[in-house]
Amino acid sequence: MAAHDMIAKPAARTLEPLMSVEDLAVSFDNGSGPRIQAVAGVSMSVYPRQTLAVVGESGCGKSVTAMSSMQLIPRPPGCFDAGRIMFGGRNLLELPEHEMLKVRGGQIAMIFQEPMTSLNPVYTIGDQIMEAVLLHQAVSPDEAAGIAIKAMADVGIRDPEGRMRAYPHQFSGGMRQRVMIAMALACRPSLLLADEPTTALDVTIQKQILELLRGLQQSSDMGMMLITHNLGVVAENADVVCCMYAGRVVEYAPVTELFDRPLHPYTRGLFRCIPGLSELRNRLVTVEEVVADPREYEGLRSEAGPVVPWWPFMDQSQRPALDDPSRPYALVEVSPDRWVGCWRTPEVARHPSRPPRIAPA
Amino acid sequence: MTEPRPSGPAAVSGVEVMRGIGAQEAKGFWADAWDRVRRRPGAMLGMAWIAVMGFFAVFAPLIANAHPIRLERLGADGQVLAVEWPLFAYLSPTDWLLMIATAFGVPWVFFGSGRLGRSGRIGVLIGLAMQAGATIVLAALLIWAAEGSGIESLERLTRLDAGPWPLVLASAIIMAVLAIAVPIAAPVMRRLGPILGAAALGFVLSWLAGGRTLVNHEQVILDEAAGKVRATWTLIPWSSQYTRSDMVGIAPGTRVADLEKTASFKGTPFGERRVLLGTDAIGGDVLGQMLWACRLSISIGLVSTGISVVLGVTIGALMGFFGGWVDLLLYRVVEIFMSVPTLFVLIVAAGVLPRNTYVMMAIIGFFSWTGAARFTRAEFLKLRKMDFVQAAQAAGLPVRAVLFRHMLPNGITPVLVDASFAIAAAITIEATLSFLGLGPDGQASWGKLLSSATAATGTFVWWLAVFPGLAIFLSVLSYNMLGEAMRDAIDPKLRKAAH
Amino acid sequence: MATYLLRRLLLMIPTVLGITLMVFMLVALAPGGIGAGLAVQGGQMSDTSKVAQMQAYLEDRYGLNDNVFVQYARWLGRVSPLKFGTTPLVAPTGDLVREPRDLPEPVMAWAFPAPAAFIVQYTPPSGEALVEDFKRLQREAEGTRRTYVGSVRGVKDALADHVRAIGAPWTARLEPKGGADPERFRDLPLDGDAPTLVKLRAAAATMHASWSEAEAARQRATIAFLARPYPAAGIEIIPNAFSLGAPDFGVAFSRNRPVWDLIATALPVTILINFIAFPIIYLVAVPTGVLASVRRGGAFDVISGLMFLLLYSIPVVLTGVFAIGFLANNQYLGWFPVSGLHDSAAATMTFMPYTDAAGAWHRGWLIDMVWHLALPVLCLVYAGFAVLSKQTRAAMLENFSSDYVRTARAKGVPSRDVIISHVLRNSLLPLITMFVGIFPAMLGGSVVVERIFTIPGMGSLVIEAINLRDRELILANTFMISSVSLLALLLADILYALCDPRVAYD
Ligand SMILES: Nc1ncnc2c1ncn2[C@@H]1O[C@H](COP(=O)(O)OP(=O)(O)OP(=O)(O)O)[C@@H](O)[C@H]1O
Ligand SMILES: [Mg+2]
Repeated sequence: MAAHDMIAKPAARTLEPLMSVEDLAVSFDNGSGPRIQAVAGVSMSVYPRQTLAVVGESGCGKSVTAMSSMQLIPRPPGCFDAGRIMFGGRNLLELPEHEMLKVRGGQIAMIFQEPMTSLNPVYTIGDQIMEAVLLHQAVSPDEAAGIAIKAMADVGIRDPEGRMRAYPHQFSGGMRQRVMIAMALACRPSLLLADEPTTALDVTIQKQILELLRGLQQSSDMGMMLITHNLGVVAENADVVCCMYAGRVVEYAPVTELFDRPLHPYTRGLFRCIPGLSELRNRLVTVEEVVADPREYEGLRSEAGPVVPWWPFMDQSQRPALDDPSRPYALVEVSPDRWVGCWRTPEVARHPSRPPRIAPA
Repeated sequence: MTEPRPSGPAAVSGVEVMRGIGAQEAKGFWADAWDRVRRRPGAMLGMAWIAVMGFFAVFAPLIANAHPIRLERLGADGQVLAVEWPLFAYLSPTDWLLMIATAFGVPWVFFGSGRLGRSGRIGVLIGLAMQAGATIVLAALLIWAAEGSGIESLERLTRLDAGPWPLVLASAIIMAVLAIAVPIAAPVMRRLGPILGAAALGFVLSWLAGGRTLVNHEQVILDEAAGKVRATWTLIPWSSQYTRSDMVGIAPGTRVADLEKTASFKGTPFGERRVLLGTDAIGGDVLGQMLWACRLSISIGLVSTGISVVLGVTIGALMGFFGGWVDLLLYRVVEIFMSVPTLFVLIVAAGVLPRNTYVMMAIIGFFSWTGAARFTRAEFLKLRKMDFVQAAQAAGLPVRAVLFRHMLPNGITPVLVDASFAIAAAITIEATLSFLGLGPDGQASWGKLLSSATAATGTFVWWLAVFPGLAIFLSVLSYNMLGEAMRDAIDPKLRKAAH
Repeated sequence: MATYLLRRLLLMIPTVLGITLMVFMLVALAPGGIGAGLAVQGGQMSDTSKVAQMQAYLEDRYGLNDNVFVQYARWLGRVSPLKFGTTPLVAPTGDLVREPRDLPEPVMAWAFPAPAAFIVQYTPPSGEALVEDFKRLQREAEGTRRTYVGSVRGVKDALADHVRAIGAPWTARLEPKGGADPERFRDLPLDGDAPTLVKLRAAAATMHASWSEAEAARQRATIAFLARPYPAAGIEIIPNAFSLGAPDFGVAFSRNRPVWDLIATALPVTILINFIAFPIIYLVAVPTGVLASVRRGGAFDVISGLMFLLLYSIPVVLTGVFAIGFLANNQYLGWFPVSGLHDSAAATMTFMPYTDAAGAWHRGWLIDMVWHLALPVLCLVYAGFAVLSKQTRAAMLENFSSDYVRTARAKGVPSRDVIISHVLRNSLLPLITMFVGIFPAMLGGSVVVERIFTIPGMGSLVIEAINLRDRELILANTFMISSVSLLALLLADILYALCDPRVAYD
């Protein structure tokens, strides 16, 4: 679908991103241990009607990035070290709390991974959806109830009037995730942050939920940031993919191109370790094996000039000479609409890339 | 592009955290807990107070005693006719045992060296304490049996001052049997030597303290005033039992000779003494009684908590390990104990049962085990589902081994942490019961002193309220502080929440 | 809901039984046994043999010679609302009248054969005459029974005297306190004419004579009883076999009043104190805990935690003594009354305070009570602060990091609303459960407080009962206190069920 759109509307390239994360760095105080640099300079952007998939292994900072844009990071221990998150011309990281309250739930909504525990057990479903509606729309409680019922009907809950009075424990996990979606979308946000919305659900429900999300997104011009571990989900739903590692972006590309031709060894490793049905391999290749192989770094060097993909565990002898040892990393646009995390050699430092933006075609 | 603000070379990325990079080197569980406790000034102050209390509990007979340490009988022209040591004749074998064990044991634990590490040395002391506990339980049983049967030889055995050697021997045998039969006691078994040593010591002591001659201190004071004897007194020449009807209700700091009734002692050593914390309504010295009362508080706190922990852990382990109908049945018992107003039942029990220390320890222990049982049960139920226990069971280890080697050490931790609060509660209960006049007979007790502050006449004697009250408060507070610190140190959930 | 309630109520029964059995055994196991307090009563009499006879009578009256389990079962039978056996009657005075009990067998029947059993012929009159007759017969049966029980005791004493006279080895079989259990002397030769033996024979003869008299009186009284001089107590289902009736807690011999009367005046006082104290504890501790958790690690958190720990460590007796000594005693401040629930002039007070024509202020009944209760309630509340606020804080902190709070914040709920309607609302559940832990402890604590401030509640009553070893009073007290405690826990359960939609009633 993403490919079709690109061909159909090539003129839309001047569009401004809905939200853009620029060099965000977030760290956490860890008591007596060393500080945890959960996010160390991440850039990405989402456009209306676009789905940005964020992938990467556990602990790479996906959730922290999403939560930062809602200022949901507990501070302390958390701390925004650098960067900004632009949304509607304002930096979300610096918005005062009362402004932020309007953004949260109203303009940006978020769905979390755990549907079982994300609803308050002592309030009815209806109360919880209506709470969001009443906070962000100037409506009477009766009207809010109407909106809530409609939102529940939209996400495919049967008998929404009756279900309004039910408590979360009376719902299954899939139903609860629908409720979460209804709650998130009841106020018509322009951006949806979906943090692993289907991880806890079984495969059939996963498919239903994602289709539902896609349908709702199409009908409301909403942008979506979809955090997931499932590359199949990415392939089916995303327009743009941002692959992260260790708090940094390692590759940023349109979904078809990334799947066709991953450039960063880590991304390649990710794809290679998915067992394919068509190919018969004796054993699976692990990501570690791929990124540990020096030859993997050669390809990019030959294609896009003198850049070496960034890899924190790369052997000291393999690393290129850096411009500034305290800033080893840069996100480089190696070819149009293809960004790769690279070592910041003097060459790279001299020709900074534009921030990663892939507008829907 | 702006690089993030450098946050020091030590910062690690989230991925590294997931791989365990940057995690702190693991310390032993108890060592870590101890480190955390040690960082709390409140806990350290509490321990200091407990140590002070312990010191007085052990050495009270040497500090506050109506028997002079040394007594020289003088002839008509002042020559020394004979020298006596009434204090040492007065000390009971229990006193001796306590004092010798403390005087040598404590420095040994802190400064000793040798094959045993410090924890090993603490283990030996704990073994000794357990033996003392066993002796006490035996003594209690014996007293109970003696009262029921009326057999005189049995009754004589219960008089501990007559020599507790049969008890010491019996408890040593019990400990040895326990050490061999119960796998968890294996470390204690290796320390059997010291236990047997202690038993031997008990023998010697009971033999030493066999026949003793006591002096009449009233007479000594009179003789001293008349110049017939020369006496060396302890710091507070007044034991907890000794009362003088001519010195009732004296305010703190008064000089004896300043009183109307004892003005005749002017100029004698007795007359020049000051009554530091005053006297009570029957003419007993408050300070002396307070020092002796440390014994009651400390021992009741420790022994009754010991009883409740053993009972609770056993019952909780049974419930948690077997589950099913055992759990169902025993949990109803727990519920019964939980829903009765414990203090109320304790008052009834203390009221109808004989007024002695052992009975009091037993009933306090018997009515406060539910906490330990519930902790252990919950922990066991949790552990039962844990991999290592299931693995042990799957590997065909017998039930007993799984229980003792895997589950008990894990399940018992929260109970031990909570024991500090239990001790505080036991001290409070002892004070309350003594206050109500249901405490052990013939024993100095803070609660008893406190109760005499508001006499029947309606007058309020402040020094009888303030000093014992402060002592009770500080002891309870110390144990609570310690418990709080330990709980924070050990409970990871609370630790996280307390961040 | 109704079935849930019913099931909880039914589950309470074994609990109450367990508690009372425990206390019953305690009292029974105590050296000197249940009757120990009776000796105190008998102690006023000068003649030792009279004391012994008095004691024998009391032991017989309260059934103290039976097996403890039998005694307990008998007690249960009286307390239970389901009554089996002959239906008791209610006298016009309100007292329960039971069927006269069978007499104990004469002792030493192997040596002195008991008189043959006989049946007395007696036709009770009807109407007023029956009531009069029954009263007379009842007194007669009581009196003769007393004499008979005393004479049995006389036989035992005579036997003991005789045994002591012949000496070893028989004396070894005497009880520690010198009494003789006839059963142990079945093989004692009783021929000869030693003076003690003569006395023993005379005592046995007296015993037999008084037995015949007592037995005849008992039979007549029974016949009159069965003719129903008074109406039956409770609701009779099967006449003289099964009936329903109010629990009968017996008579407190130390006060010679029905136990129920004593409890009916004492229990409301105790409940009142506790029900004043409870809201205070919750009102102070919950907000403190909430604030401490919101600013965790801050000055308020640390200071309130430390202060409550300090308060928690002060035993109630200490506060009580200090409060009485420094605040109430006239030697010092004398601001509060020292004891009691009311001024002696309370009966003449108006309910509300008022200022009379002369401008003098009268505090009135209500303020007088508040004034009297201030210190006792103070003593009762402060220890609960620490427990409850710590729990509140912990529950709040746990909920702060929960997923649904994150959801609420992501919805844009202002943080104050997050704290109140999400975090606090969910933290209330464990606070209700906390009630289970606090309430029994508080009931126990109020015993001490009542004692210190001489408030005529359950605490004062039970301590008096203990000092006199008044079994009926101790048991009834325990029963009532446990029941109140259990009912309060039931209330907490219901509250919990109402607050937590996840709990199903069935
Ligand atoms: N509140 C916090 N306090 C301390 N450290 C935190 C906190 N939140 C996140 N972190 C750290 O930040 C790192 C990144 O966390 P994040 O939740 O963003 O990972 P993720 O990419 O979402 O992983 P997953 O796929 O498992 O959800 C983690 O390693 C964690 O240690
Ligand atoms: Mg995540």
